[in-house]
Amino acid sequence: MKYFLIFVVAAAPLLAHHSFAAEFDNKKPVELKGTLVELEWVNPHAWIHMEVTDPSGKVTKWDCELGSPNLLMRNGWRRDSLKKGDVIIVSGSQAKDGSNLANARTVSFADGKRVFNAGSSGDPGTPGALTQ
Amino acid sequence: MNMRAHFVTAALFALSGTLSAQWFDYPTKGIPRLPDGKANLNAPAPKTPDGKPDLSGVWLGDQWSPAGRRPNPPGEGRGGGGRGGGGRGGGAPEMLPWAQRVFDERRATSLRDDPEARCMPQGVPKASTLPYPFEIVNASNKTLILFEMYSLRRQIFTDGRELPKDAKDYAQPSWMGYSIGKWDGDEFVVTTAGINDQVWNIDLAGHPHSDALRITERYHRVDFGHMDVNVTIDDPKTYASQWTMPVMRYTLLPDTDLFEFVCEKNIDPQHMVGK
Repeated sequence: MKYFLIFVVAAAPLLAHHSFAAEFDNKKPVELKGTLVELEWVNPHAWIHMEVTDPSGKVTKWDCELGSPNLLMRNGWRRDSLKKGDVIIVSGSQAKDGSNLANARTVSFADGKRVFNAGSSGDPGTPGALTQ
Repeated sequence: MNMRAHFVTAALFALSGTLSAQWFDYPTKGIPRLPDGKANLNAPAPKTPDGKPDLSGVWLGDQWSPAGRRPNPPGEGRGGGGRGGGGRGGGAPEMLPWAQRVFDERRATSLRDDPEARCMPQGVPKASTLPYPFEIVNASNKTLILFEMYSLRRQIFTDGRELPKDAKDYAQPSWMGYSIGKWDGDEFVVTTAGINDQVWNIDLAGHPHSDALRITERYHRVDFGHMDVNVTIDDPKTYASQWTMPVMRYTLLPDTDLFEFVCEKNIDPQHMVGK
């Protein structure tokens, strides 16, 4: 059971605070596999700070935006859900300005068996997205 | 048993089995429940001691809840496809030329300049259309609406006072405006004016306003777990005629409480290119 802990994905991915389309590009999907540096538990958005190592060994830092701590907690997250050094996979959308910044849609562990809804959405057509 | 013993007993009882329950999952007392212990959201709407519908509770817009939005009854609302904010999928108002230009520019830049993204308040009725709950609290001579997002609040005076008529009569226009509430049958009718010019958009779609804005909200608690709010916008300096937003529908969130939300570390604006 403990390896199949799926955090319930509310059908309400959430983005209030700012318009998704003002900052992120849903045509730039990213899937980042890397090591957690810090889960920053702060309003208006929690952040995943991580390091991604490419095949040549080059390390790149990425910042991934989550929902607010309130939304994440109602979706089952806790401030210690991720720990420094965890290998995680973040899927989401990259920032329009091209920086190493992404809006996270889901966060999963490397074994793929634990998936967190990121509580912040970029999907057009979902209730949280303002893409028009 | 003396008072102290009562207190200790109560404290021990409260702690038993709910050590982890705070804010987000502490059981709400005194609400109707089904045999399995879940809140009975279809029970009748409660009443206050004076016989009026009791609107109190923690509410979240249906479009943000896992169960999704309840369908509109035939003929109600304008298309009903809106986001509770109006202007999308129905409820689109006819804007005066200046307002249309402003609105079009906002859409073209993906609402990049919305002050909400800089942690400023949302205004009315936008604050009630967000993916965060709000709580209605009955108080003496007023009703309070507490918003989780940015920890804002509205005061709706029910002591019989009237709204000042003209914009110039508002000594201090404010983000959440000045509101009075009266009962019309089972509907709590809230009228709001005195909204300041820093409020940028009155809904998620990005509609603007002027100092002539007057908002009428009609709150109707359908049953224990559901509430509908009809919102009419009257702003002759911005819109060609009065218009009604798609009906806002809310579902009660049992067994949770509002939590503090101070917008304390915001790094988004530097990346918000808009196009």
